[in-house]
Amino acid sequence: ARGGARGGAKVIVEKHRHEGVFIARAKEDMLVTRNLTPGESVYGEKRIAVDSPASGTDENGQPVATKIEYRVWNPFRSKIAAGILGGLDNIYIKPGAKVLYLGAASGTSVSHVADIVGPTGNVYAVEFSHRSGRDLINMAKKRTNVIPIIEDARHPMKYRMLVGMVDVVFADVAQPDQARIVGLNCHLFLKDQGGVLVSIKANCIDSTAPAEAVFVSEVKKMREERIKPSEQLTLEPFERDHCIVVGKYLRSQS
Amino acid sequence: MSAVDYILQEAPVGYGLYEVVQQPDTIGNRLKEVQEAANDLAKFGKMVKLVSFAPFQGAAQALENANDISEGIANAHLLSLLELNLPKGSKKKKVVLGIADKNLAGSIKAAFPAIDCETNEVVQDLLRGLRLHGNKLLKQLQPGDMDRAQLGLGHAYSRAKVKFSVQKNDNHII
Repeated sequence: ARGGARGGAKVIVEKHRHEGVFIARAKEDMLVTRNLTPGESVYGEKRIAVDSPASGTDENGQPVATKIEYRVWNPFRSKIAAGILGGLDNIYIKPGAKVLYLGAASGTSVSHVADIVGPTGNVYAVEFSHRSGRDLINMAKKRTNVIPIIEDARHPMKYRMLVGMVDVVFADVAQPDQARIVGLNCHLFLKDQGGVLVSIKANCIDSTAPAEAVFVSEVKKMREERIKPSEQLTLEPFERDHCIVVGKYLRSQS
Repeated sequence: MSAVDYILQEAPVGYGLYEVVQQPDTIGNRLKEVQEAANDLAKFGKMVKLVSFAPFQGAAQALENANDISEGIANAHLLSLLELNLPKGSKKKKVVLGIADKNLAGSIKAAFPAIDCETNEVVQDLLRGLRLHGNKLLKQLQPGDMDRAQLGLGHAYSRAKVKFSVQKNDNHII
């Protein structure tokens, strides 16, 4: 059954403040990304096709209405989407960017990041679980800008041959030592002045301390890894006791 | 600390061996100017000089090497590159090779006792530079070669991991 977005012509897609992200305005507004593989959904998400505003012409000079397809990005399923809706100032992920994605899981969020960076960008998607890794590999078969890496993000040395220098590191690893994991990966793969986005689930770090205290101590640990935090945002109402911290990697910091 | 003479690049297209022409300073390496020099290809290109590049002959060999690198094993392909291109050191004057991983250092030292391996921060900074500029320093590469090699190797490596996994089915929570 088609859902509410299938109003057809009534949907208007506008550019979001963040390059490569779009908003579909229908009965309700939805966050969407431009589908890199039109005609296919990755995890059963809804797709919206709209007429391209700048339609080309066919060989007879007649205007052709080309369709552009977008995929709906659910903030309840993706921390990045929740962060964007929460109003993050800078996500660093943009067309052409190279992204190291730690904790890729089955690749649902990764597919949207791949949409954003487009054919000129790359997503190095690291996931340790073999079960979700299989889905990740299958998703990456269709999207050639995604490089699947089934390996432990704790040991970036193990996959150092597969990863180039990146512009952004995103981490959603939910491990007690995640600040250290992020640091190790940044030192090896992240460009000086590159962006760092870390999703923190308070429960996974320390389930006894109050969430706020956990966030403060995690941010402190990130500073020690030469990451200068610029924003911290709670992911309410999409996730409970989660926050996303955005920072900049300063290799030259002493 | 002895100065680093050579550094090893482990790229998905092959191994690159570079001579360190300009010794970076250990003390100043976190200074802004030093870091910016590494970001600048023109300046970084003067710090290192390509000695030799040993490309992989096909995907199978690349995967074999990627697995060895991952486990810290020195592959025969790597050892032959080092043997052919590094000067024969002696007990008194050892050749210092900068590499990324301590585990690999053991394997290289086992094969060549006259080579000293170094993995300190100066080396890591040089390797960051190689990772950043590598595809431009290797002249025989076409633009995009490195990306394609990463993509192919990433798939091959990951598929092998999933295929030969003892935990083919993840542990179910009962």
